[in-house]
This record gives sequence, C-alpha cells and structure tokens, in this order.
Amino acid sequence: MLKKGVLCLAISVLMFGVLVVADTAIPENPGAYVGGTLTIGVSQTFKDLDPRVSNSVYDAYVYGEVFDDLIGLDPDTLEPIPHIAKSWTVSDDGSTSVFYLNEGIKFSNGEDLTAEDVAYTFNWITDPANGSPNASEYEWLKEALVIDKYTVMFVNKPDWTPFCPGLVSESASIVPKDTCEAMGAEAFNLAPIGSGPYKFVEWKPGDHVTLERNENYWLVKPNLDKVIYRPIPTLATMMLELEAGGIDIADNMPAQDVARFQSMTGVDVLQVASLSYFYIAFNCSHAPSNDVRFRKACYMSTDMDAAVFSIFQGLTGVRAYGCTPPALWANDTDYLKNTIALEEDDAAAKALFDQLKTEGVIPANFKTTIYCPLDPRRTQLATILATNLEENGIDAEVQPLDWGPLLDLLYRSEDDPLGAGYEIFIMGWSGGADPHNFIYYLLTTENAVVGTANNFSWYSNPEADALIKEADTTPGCDQATREALYVEAQRKIFAEYPHISGYHYIETRGVSTRVQDFQISPLTWIQLCSPSNNVWVKE
Amino acid sequence: MFGYAIRRMIQLAFVLFGLTVVLFVLLKAMPGDPARVMAGLGATPATIEAIRVKLGFYKPLHVQYWRLIGGLCNGQLQAMTYHKPVWTVIIERLPATVELGAAGMLLALLVSIPAGLLSAIYRNSPLDYAVTTTALMGISIPVFWLALMLMLVFGVILHVLPVSGRGATLWGWSFLTIDGLRHLIIPAVALSSVQMAMNARLTRASMLEVMRQEYIDTARAKGLTERVVLIKHAFRNALAPVVTNVGLQVGALFAGAVLTETTTAWPGIGRLMYESIIRRDQAVVFGLALFMGACYMVSYLLVDIMYAYIDPRITYD
Repeated sequence: MLKKGVLCLAISVLMFGVLVVADTAIPENPGAYVGGTLTIGVSQTFKDLDPRVSNSVYDAYVYGEVFDDLIGLDPDTLEPIPHIAKSWTVSDDGSTSVFYLNEGIKFSNGEDLTAEDVAYTFNWITDPANGSPNASEYEWLKEALVIDKYTVMFVNKPDWTPFCPGLVSESASIVPKDTCEAMGAEAFNLAPIGSGPYKFVEWKPGDHVTLERNENYWLVKPNLDKVIYRPIPTLATMMLELEAGGIDIADNMPAQDVARFQSMTGVDVLQVASLSYFYIAFNCSHAPSNDVRFRKACYMSTDMDAAVFSIFQGLTGVRAYGCTPPALWANDTDYLKNTIALEEDDAAAKALFDQLKTEGVIPANFKTTIYCPLDPRRTQLATILATNLEENGIDAEVQPLDWGPLLDLLYRSEDDPLGAGYEIFIMGWSGGADPHNFIYYLLTTENAVVGTANNFSWYSNPEADALIKEADTTPGCDQATREALYVEAQRKIFAEYPHISGYHYIETRGVSTRVQDFQISPLTWIQLCSPSNNVWVKE
Repeated sequence: MFGYAIRRMIQLAFVLFGLTVVLFVLLKAMPGDPARVMAGLGATPATIEAIRVKLGFYKPLHVQYWRLIGGLCNGQLQAMTYHKPVWTVIIERLPATVELGAAGMLLALLVSIPAGLLSAIYRNSPLDYAVTTTALMGISIPVFWLALMLMLVFGVILHVLPVSGRGATLWGWSFLTIDGLRHLIIPAVALSSVQMAMNARLTRASMLEVMRQEYIDTARAKGLTERVVLIKHAFRNALAPVVTNVGLQVGALFAGAVLTETTTAWPGIGRLMYESIIRRDQAVVFGLALFMGACYMVSYLLVDIMYAYIDPRITYD
C-alpha cells in the first residue's frame, strides 16, 4: 500500500513541475484556557452562511470558522500553505493541478471529507445555473475531477490563470456534497454544516449567530466553548459595547476612536493594511480624459499625500501607489512612488489644462462631474479633487451616487458604450491574496466590457495585457516569475495614469485584553482556530 | 357602529390596493439595477442574468406587479437575499418591534399623561416649567443621539444596563426574561422620548382648554371636590385629542423604530427595512412598506372607533 503511494507520488512529480509537500501545521498555545465564550461585534448584518453563495466579508467571519479551506494562507507571507490539501502539484503548462487531501477529516455531522466533496464544491460554484456570485473567482476553472477518494484534479480553461489566485479565498471552503444535496441550497445556507473548528448552532436574524466547538475537529481542539457574532450596524454603538465589555472584538473602529482606545487599558487596537485599493479613475474612452496630459494635470492639481492624511489622520488608511496593496507580493511602492507619482504642481497643471484648451481637447465651457459612492471618505477625496481642479481652471462638481445608479453609469450600456456621462470617478476594490485579483480585474482590456466588467476606466494597454496574461499562465505558477511580470505591467500601466492611486484601508480591530492568540489578517478574515493560532479567553 | 366599521374596512382595502400600486411604481422608478447591486462587484454576467431572471425582471410590468401581490397573498413570495418567504422574514422580526413599540408607548403614556395633567393643574409653577422644558428637549433631541447618550451613561459609565442588542428571550419575547427586560429599557426610552414629550404638551394644553369651560365652573359651583372636577369632568374630556394623537403615534413608532433599532442593534422590522433597502431586496421592502401602511390605517380606524366611547357627542350611525 505504502509502495503504491510512493509510486503514485513519484509519477506525479515526473508529470508535474511543482510539488508542495508539508504537513498541515498544528497550532500550539500551552497554558491556554479551554472554555469560555467569545463575543464578536460585526458592523454588518449577515446575509449568507454558505461560502458558495456569500460574497460578503462579514459572512466570512462566521463561515470561515464553520468550514475549512482547501488550502490555507500563511499570515505573514500570504503564500498558500497546506490545509485540507496536504500537498499539491501543478503541471508544467499550468493547465491542471492535483490536490492530495488529508485523510480522516470529518464534517461536524460525522461524514468523511473526501475528493467528492471538494470537486462538488467547485463545480457547484462554477455552474452558471446556480448563479453563485463567486463564480468570477473561478473563471479559470473548467472542472474539478475526482481522481480517487483523497485526490482531486482541477482542469483549467485554455489560456487561463493557474489555480493560485482563486483558491486562496474564503469561498474556497469545502461543503459536504451529500448533506448539501439532501438539504437543498437554501436550507443549507441557513444552517450550514462544515468541517471547521466551530459548528453552527443558531442564527437569529439581525440579532446573533452562535457557534460552538466542533469536538471532532481534525486539526486541534478549539479552545472556545462558544462564539457569538452580534451584528451592530452603528459603529458608535459598537465602540460603546467594546468599552463596556459587551463584546470582546469589534471588527471595525473609526479613525476618531483609535487614539482613545490606544490609551485605554483593557482594549488593544490591532491594525494591518488590508488587501483593498481605492482610486481616482479616468474614463479613457473619450476626450479629454482619454488624453494622458489631462490625467497628469488632474494628478498635479492635488497633493494626494495631504488629501489621504486629511481623510484618515494617518490612522486607518495609508496612501496607495499602484493597485497592489503593500501586504501583497508584487507591490512596487518604492518605484511607483519615486518615479510615477506626481507632486502637486498647480502652475504645471494649469499650463497643461490651458494647452489642452487651446488645442480643443478640453472643449469650451467644459464642466466635469466626479462620481463616487455614498461613502464619506470617497466623497471627501472627490471634494478635495474638485476644489483643486476649480483652482486650476476646470469646472468640477462632486456627485455621490447610490450603488445602483453608480454601477449603471460605470458599467455603461449598448446605447452609451463610451460612457459619455463621466470623465472622473472614485471607486474601490478588495481582492484575495494574489496580485492578479487587482491588476487583472481593474486594468486589463478583457475587463473592459459593456454591461459587466470592472475596468471602469476602459483603459487598454496591449503590452501590459500580454504581461499579465503571461503572469497568469506562468508554468508551475512560479511566484518569482509572476511577480516580475506583474511589476512590469503595473509600471507600464501607471506611467499612463489611468488611475490616481488613492489609499489602502488599514484594517482596525478593537480587541479586549481577555482575548489571547488573536491575529489580525490583511485578508479581513477573523480566524479563531487555524494552523497558526487558536484563540482563547482569560476567565 | 358595526356598519361604520365595515364601511371603513372596505375603504381600507381600496386604500391598501392604491398603496400597493404606488409602492410598486416607486420601486420600479428607483434608479439602478437591483440585480447588479445584489450580485456585487466582480459578478459574472451569468450571475447577474440569473438574478434578473429569478426576480422576473424581463416580464411585463403588470405581470411583475401581480407576481408580487399574488406572492404576498399566498405567502410564497421569496425574499431574494434572505432565502425565505417575505412574510417569514417579517414575522421573525416582528415580535421585537411590537415589544419595543408597546414598551415605548406604555412608557410614553405612563409618564406623559400624569406629567401633562400636573403641569396643567399647577400652571406656571416650577413643576409646570420643568415639564414643559423637558418636553421641549424631548421633541428636539434626535432619537439616535439620545440612545447613544443613554448607552454611554447607563451602559458604559454606570454599568447598570446593557448597551445594545435584545438579550435573552423566552418564547420569542424579551420582556419575559430579566436579561431581556434590561435590554429593553434604553431602546424603549429612546423610542418613546418624542411621543412622551408631545403627549405631555398636548395633555397640558387640552386640560387647560377644558378647565376654562363653563361646565367646569358649574361643577365646582355644585360643590364637587376639586379632585372629582379635575379627574371626572375635566380630564376625561381633555383626553379625546390625546387619544387621537396616541393612535397616530402607533404608526409613527414604526418610522421611529428604523432609527432606534439601527442605533441600539435591536433586531426588529425597522432595522429589517434599513437592511433591505441597502440590499435592494425589493420584495421585503414592498412587504414591509405594505405592512407598515396597513398598521397606520388600522390604528386610524381604531382611533375613530374609540372616539365614540370617549366622547358621547360622537356617533357614527
């Protein structure tokens, strides 16, 4: 039996370029108290508890504990690490990847977790009939095939990204096939069953979700008896709850409260730059915003460092240079800051605007509207930009919009393929732990499609597109190669200023000092029991 | 009286029908594609399309309208983002709001009517000034701010009440448990503050008006005690406008509940309305608006019927 396994392994190494072999790490925290209840304040109400259909990071707080991911993520390097899959291989041409699962993992209802469940999970998400909002994360996946009870193969679509970007996501949590089919998707969504460290107990809509320890958790005994998630939509109320001890963890903290809690005993403030990106963008489909000189003049009209500081006071947001957040590999802040970013220079900006007016690129009586969502931070940034443009001779006003009309405007329509109604807008994006999730969706030609895409600038750079495609299909998914390609693409793109990079959020959580071994992650997940930690509370 | 009630019920059905039409037109007139908002950024065209088809957006408007109405009537209309029938979603949250509204109304009546009464009896006294000044503050202070201040004082500084949430429940009701009852106090005080203030001012004004009437002088001249004059003759007559106002406030409590429930993390239908608007769940917004509209109408009807009992001069047949 052992010989057969070794033979299979040897064959797979010969066939495939990369093999990751490592035991799934087991968290250790000697002296931890086993028991007690942890209460977490959540700033939004839960919507879905089935990872296949949820697209909310708040839902992920809960289902992240109820389910296990196929592969984990190193909290320090953000690189994939073994979890349910103890190892995996990627073929040289990147077209397939094979995952070898840990044996003996059980769902909380006693069912074995096998390759059938893994394949079912991903095939269900990618089946258009199921309408999963997470399907776009797996656009690269043709199908997942069961090789044997504990081996599953992912077959990519031709010329598509290797597995890495998609699978390091909370939606890559494995659901039990038989239970899902027996319960139906809607019932499963309301009472999920997973193989994670805590199992679902009850969901009182709007009030709380309760989990309790999964005594059969395969990795380690989770320390907490019970976890309660309480949606508290008003942040001021959440801060009062944290101060009064009604909750142990606040998932969010406004900038104005950071200093107060930092000086308070009993509460720690934990911060990390999140995998988010907020940006001022230009419509590159029509004049004058399709002219790089116009975009540069807008950039030079504004002191972006000062603008970002005035919004966050240096507490809950950090200036962005390029679309890749600082926590991710392929972040190229030094180069982009020193070479691409523009300082405020009103004289130069005004001269450029005047030149464009003389040439007729900026029409007479030109007036522009800066669109943004109903978000106070982005509205403030839009107001700063509009004020500075006014000072340099461009008539500009700010129009915050509800998501519905804003998306209608930015997605465009067949009647208005050039987006005639807008030149400048401010948007944001949160992606997973791979640079692909940012640069591909926001700035490639493939994502400039009327009606759906996320390249709202309609920016197109064939050279950069080719580099990104090369990075996405790098043989063996080699990170160093991919990083170099993404960096080069980003430099080419940002030298043409389709965006003025704005800021990355600093994820800020208030945590009671009774909570131990809690880690904050750039991914905005709250992990209570993972290969690197096992949260416990002092009684 | 019975015939009057029947006539009003028939009228109510027509008004409800009109309300459904107005609500449907308003929902359809709202800018933006709800399917896109529900699907979120990054959703594939297939996902957005699947939501549109599921919601029946490609069907003619009148078909969509009757689908909504039919679904609400037979209880099968699904709340897209809650994965349950709309009525189930509303009924799950309703006890929390009924409980909060009833506690708020009870508190408002228990405090405001005696306060208004005493204020009128001791007109221009320090007590009168205290009541009128407090009432003015009650009307002026925003509900959400008052709730936050109550949480700060009683939850954080004094540690005598929980800050937010609903706490423990028994058979779905908070007031049946000590923990639930403690959770109820801050939201109920915040919600009732405006009603309390308005009722106190109205009771005072109404009492003063009645006490100027000649029949009050006649009662006194007959040698009745001041207590009998005030309570039996003045107060009962002064109560009619107050009852009208209280009836109208039943509906207003639902509107106030949106703010109070959101601020105090109270899981009622006020917060459900807020969440459903944000999520663009048109079916839930439609159902809730209709439900709240029906509550307004029924409370108006009950007020009209109660008039006949409070004021013998009023008859309907």
